[in-house]
Amino acid sequence: MGLARAGALAAVLLLWQLASLLWGLPDYILSPLEILRHFFTALGSRELYEDIGASLGRALPGFVIGSALGIALGLAAGVSRVFDDTLSPVVFLTYPVPKIVLLPLFMLWFGIGDLSKVLIIALACFYPVFINAYYGARSTQRILVWSALNMGAGPARIFRRIVVPSAAPQIFAGLRVSLALSFIVMFAAEMINARSGLGHMIRIAENSLRFDLMYVSLASIAILGYAGDRLLTFVREKALAWQEQPA
Amino acid sequence: MKRLPPLILIACILLAWEAVSRSGLWNPLLFPPLEKISRELVLFFTRPESIMEAFVSLQRAFAGFALAAAFGIAIGMLMGRSARIAALLDPLFSGTYAVPKLALFPIFIFVFGIGSLSKVALVFLECLYPIVIVTSQGARGVSRVLLWSAANMGASRAAALRRVVIPAAAPFIFAGLRIALPIALIVVIITEMVSSADGLGYLVIYSLSSLKTDRMLAVVVVIAALGWLLDRALVMLRDRLVYWEKLETYYV
Repeated sequence: MGLARAGALAAVLLLWQLASLLWGLPDYILSPLEILRHFFTALGSRELYEDIGASLGRALPGFVIGSALGIALGLAAGVSRVFDDTLSPVVFLTYPVPKIVLLPLFMLWFGIGDLSKVLIIALACFYPVFINAYYGARSTQRILVWSALNMGAGPARIFRRIVVPSAAPQIFAGLRVSLALSFIVMFAAEMINARSGLGHMIRIAENSLRFDLMYVSLASIAILGYAGDRLLTFVREKALAWQEQPA
Repeated sequence: MKRLPPLILIACILLAWEAVSRSGLWNPLLFPPLEKISRELVLFFTRPESIMEAFVSLQRAFAGFALAAAFGIAIGMLMGRSARIAALLDPLFSGTYAVPKLALFPIFIFVFGIGSLSKVALVFLECLYPIVIVTSQGARGVSRVLLWSAANMGASRAAALRRVVIPAAAPFIFAGLRIALPIALIVVIITEMVSSADGLGYLVIYSLSSLKTDRMLAVVVVIAALGWLLDRALVMLRDRLVYWEKLETYYV
């Protein structure tokens, strides 16, 4: 599988490089080797690390806050009728609404600094995690709960030992969506209004026609997104080692 | 009766908003009173310019979404039914799935220009992923017994595709479309906020920078309502076409 993946990607990159060698590409499309060269030059400078740090400093807190709230409230709504009746209708009603439009409002309320960006990322990350935790908790098999009750387990114990493990695979599916979402919203927020970060970097590069920097920013966000996803998949496999892998 | 709790909650939020805006503790720019927001909302629907902006945004979202649906369903079907195509394309899709495609927007501006085309292209790209991935899952999961029975009764490959595979994958196709539709709207709004020339996203940023927060909130309300209405419309279409299976979850 790893070989096939590398093969398909390598073929695309090779074609791209060949096209640039044979016909020449417009200024704004660099060849893979050029991108690689610029990327390594940028790795030697301090600015890239500062921008990456600023971006991660927004995306990760937003992801953690939004996901933690999503797991807690989603599980609560999944097991408790009171929470279900009050929370779920609101969440499902506002789910298809693009959360990014609230960014200007958040900028008014919380300032144009990092707080408004972290909060909008948290809001966007909340939804997929809530919905998955909710359905995960609701799909707990009744027979397991009955068996536990029969063996004298209390509600807290049932929640911890049965509901949470049953919901865990779906929670991870939600986390995977929301991690990708946190990078998208972070990048969008930085492109719209920021003074640092990868989104800001690509805007500056675009305005000053520094195509090399555009591709450096693009390569960085691509690597970060991919690495974050792999890391989460790794954690999932460690945490859910007992679960049978779907084919 | 089931519709009552959300209405109560919305009423509470509106009341709290009005209380905060009347308390005088904050600048009325931060919490404009409901009366002003609703007046701007009425203005929005009576001014042809703002209707045009909404039309431009919707056009972009639909164009990108329709292209992604056409290509995505076709690619997903091929990937689901042919192991060779799946082996070829799956690494490309799963390898770049977690990469924010939005970062390509500045390059798309150079390639496709500053107008609608770069935005439509980005909507297409972002919507393509969920549609392809979910459709291919659905097409792969078609019960073999059904296919064997169809072949046994003399159905050609084309007939089996039309009468067995497509109906069996239909719930999945709609699940993918349902994930992609809000994404289409989000991407259009974001790109309009960034490139700031026209569309609803531009209107939000423009009202903010001219300190018309009541107008900005009116546009936000319109965008939220659009997102909700589009989702409802898709669910209604789904319930018509996939009437044999009831919709229960958001994700497959």
